[in-house]
Amino acid sequence: MKSNVFVSRLALGIYLLIFFGYLLGPLLIMSLTAFNSNAFPSVSPWACFTFEWFQVLFHDERILNSIKNSVIIGIGTVILSVAMGLAASLVLTQVWAKWRSTYYTIIIAPILIPGVVLGISTVVFWDRLSRILGPASDALFHNGIFLTVLGQSTFIASYAMLVFVARLQRYDPGLTEAALDLGATHTQAFRKILLPFMRPAIASASVLAFLASFENYNTTTFTFGRYPTLTIELAQKVRYGINPSISALAFIIVVLTVFGAIALEAWRRNKLKALAVKEGTAPVGRSILPGFLRGNWAAVVLVLMSFAVITVFWAGQSYSPAQCKQRVLELKQAETQRRIQELQLQRQIKRQADALKGPDIFGPSSQSGTGTAGDNPFGGVFNPGNLEGQSGTGTGPTEQPKPEEEPKAAPKPSPFGGVFDPGNLDDVGGN
Amino acid sequence: MKKPLIFSQFFRNNGKMMGGIMMFLVAFWIIVLILLPQLSMLDFSFRFNLPPKELGGPKDVYTLHNYRYLLYGADGKEGTYNTVDLMVFVRTIIAAMAVTIADLILCYPLAYYLGQSKGTGFVRLLVVLLIIPYWINEILRAFALRIIFADSGIVNDVLMTLHLIKEPIDFIRADIALYAGLGYAYILLMLFPMYNVIESLDRNQIEAARDMGASWTRIHRRIVIPHAKPGISSGMTMVFMLSAGALAAPQILGGPSSLWFTQLVYQWFNGSLNWQQGSAYAIVLLVSSIVIVMTFMKIFKVNMGDIGK
Repeated sequence: MKSNVFVSRLALGIYLLIFFGYLLGPLLIMSLTAFNSNAFPSVSPWACFTFEWFQVLFHDERILNSIKNSVIIGIGTVILSVAMGLAASLVLTQVWAKWRSTYYTIIIAPILIPGVVLGISTVVFWDRLSRILGPASDALFHNGIFLTVLGQSTFIASYAMLVFVARLQRYDPGLTEAALDLGATHTQAFRKILLPFMRPAIASASVLAFLASFENYNTTTFTFGRYPTLTIELAQKVRYGINPSISALAFIIVVLTVFGAIALEAWRRNKLKALAVKEGTAPVGRSILPGFLRGNWAAVVLVLMSFAVITVFWAGQSYSPAQCKQRVLELKQAETQRRIQELQLQRQIKRQADALKGPDIFGPSSQSGTGTAGDNPFGGVFNPGNLEGQSGTGTGPTEQPKPEEEPKAAPKPSPFGGVFDPGNLDDVGGN
Repeated sequence: MKKPLIFSQFFRNNGKMMGGIMMFLVAFWIIVLILLPQLSMLDFSFRFNLPPKELGGPKDVYTLHNYRYLLYGADGKEGTYNTVDLMVFVRTIIAAMAVTIADLILCYPLAYYLGQSKGTGFVRLLVVLLIIPYWINEILRAFALRIIFADSGIVNDVLMTLHLIKEPIDFIRADIALYAGLGYAYILLMLFPMYNVIESLDRNQIEAARDMGASWTRIHRRIVIPHAKPGISSGMTMVFMLSAGALAAPQILGGPSSLWFTQLVYQWFNGSLNWQQGSAYAIVLLVSSIVIVMTFMKIFKVNMGDIGK
């Protein structure tokens, strides 16, 4: 019996591990790739710890512009969808029972309609309307922001509505009636009684609506026009050429999300604790932690995380991966050197063999025998004898900015030809 | 004659101004944002793709051409079916169902575990951990999987280090990345509804059943699953509809040779600029997925009102 319990615990543990690994693993790895200096986002092989992708990101005009668009559209969507959701949920409580399920089906349907369909129908409808109303309405009805806000609000209002319905279930309509009996107008009753009661729901619906708008892709991809949102811009980047600056953005979003989730949890726990204190059931004990951190792991984590982020940010200001990069470069150069020495050795052997054959050292036959200077388009320009004179003047410095290409280019015959010739490299090492 | 009565009562309950604002907002939402766009898309799907000059002209008539195209392909090829597009459609529907079932199987144990072990800090931690990926962009989640499943990605690296494979597997071309991505994208929409209902199940019921000698499978079949049915159906509906209508994951994770039906819609719309054809395809997608969901709801006797709870 005991082993049975153990086995089921083990199974549960493995299952949880797999589930959360599947859920969080990809995000973790994506975040890590933001700090690797490799040009393709990857964690292995790990080259250098770097912040350069964040700099690339912060200098990306299109990303910054799209964030601006996203925020504008997000705010518009929040206003429209929260207003419509609230109105719809209030109407739901008053609709006759016979009609309620039809009404509910209509306003819940946008959640289930594929986003693609919502986007297309919005564009088609407003295009049609602008044709009916004439060219004067064109500017508005074909405006990306206008269409995107409407398209997104269509289904985001349903989410907001669900939040409001849940809250309204706990509302006592008697309160409004009492206010009306005491002489308040309907507007006053709404503003002074119902609205304060709905405030938490309005807050959470707004956050939900903003997040939903911010990350929507399927609808926006048809409606955005000339105002791409962040998600659209990201999708285009991901589809047509990946680089780790997307990972850097992803890392920022992940960190913000983690912050948000933990802050929410800390706030919730604090509220629970306050409730417990009020009821006198709070555990009494002494702790070195200040009040709001006591018995609230989420708040502790939140504070620790803020410190960590500040530290990393500060370190990012002063940390420069140049040294590490230099080291990686040196490693690569050492590797190249080794290969070149091998080649040199081979060449010498070849040369000796050729010398044994005849005196024609730099003739075509010997050139084709040497790996580096082999099939290059510059012919004999870069052959060893020439290089001795050249390397001191021009090629050395020009070569340094492209260290990445070195190890790939050197061992095989390349368009750079003899630029990577031994004499040349010795000179670089000397610098 | 009931309508005016309803309205007058509504205005009496809410006042002229508040009632008016509410009426306006709800009407705007339902009519201008939901109904009219869908209807105009439906109307559009029955029209020819004409240049602007010929609009309203004699050629601007209703036609079934766009739907016929999905079935039979271009005109002049009578008797042959448009196998390419039809296969994409069938594949999309079947794959979306498979993704839904896979997510259900993956989520049910966790929903049960979370729902039934109340209050402990560990469970709260798990819920917070679940919320994090839920809030992160669909595109970024697909991007994360793309990094992992790339040729030099971590999955291939691990498999190669373990000497399980010699050559890197092309997960993208094999569509493994796509299915993993679709399951990944919507898994939490399956989990949360189920978790919410199972949480409301009284533990005593399970213990009573256990005391009476019911087996583990029987407890789930007779108590937990019937109770969780609204949550399960809500989750399945959401996952199915969203993965059948997904666009980001197939665009980012799909192999070069395989298409998702929404990608066809996208191509007609943004590539060929044939909005009418795109609308027809979108209508087909919408209607068929609604029909499928409704059929399953009928079979399992679930109400529309349970969705979204």
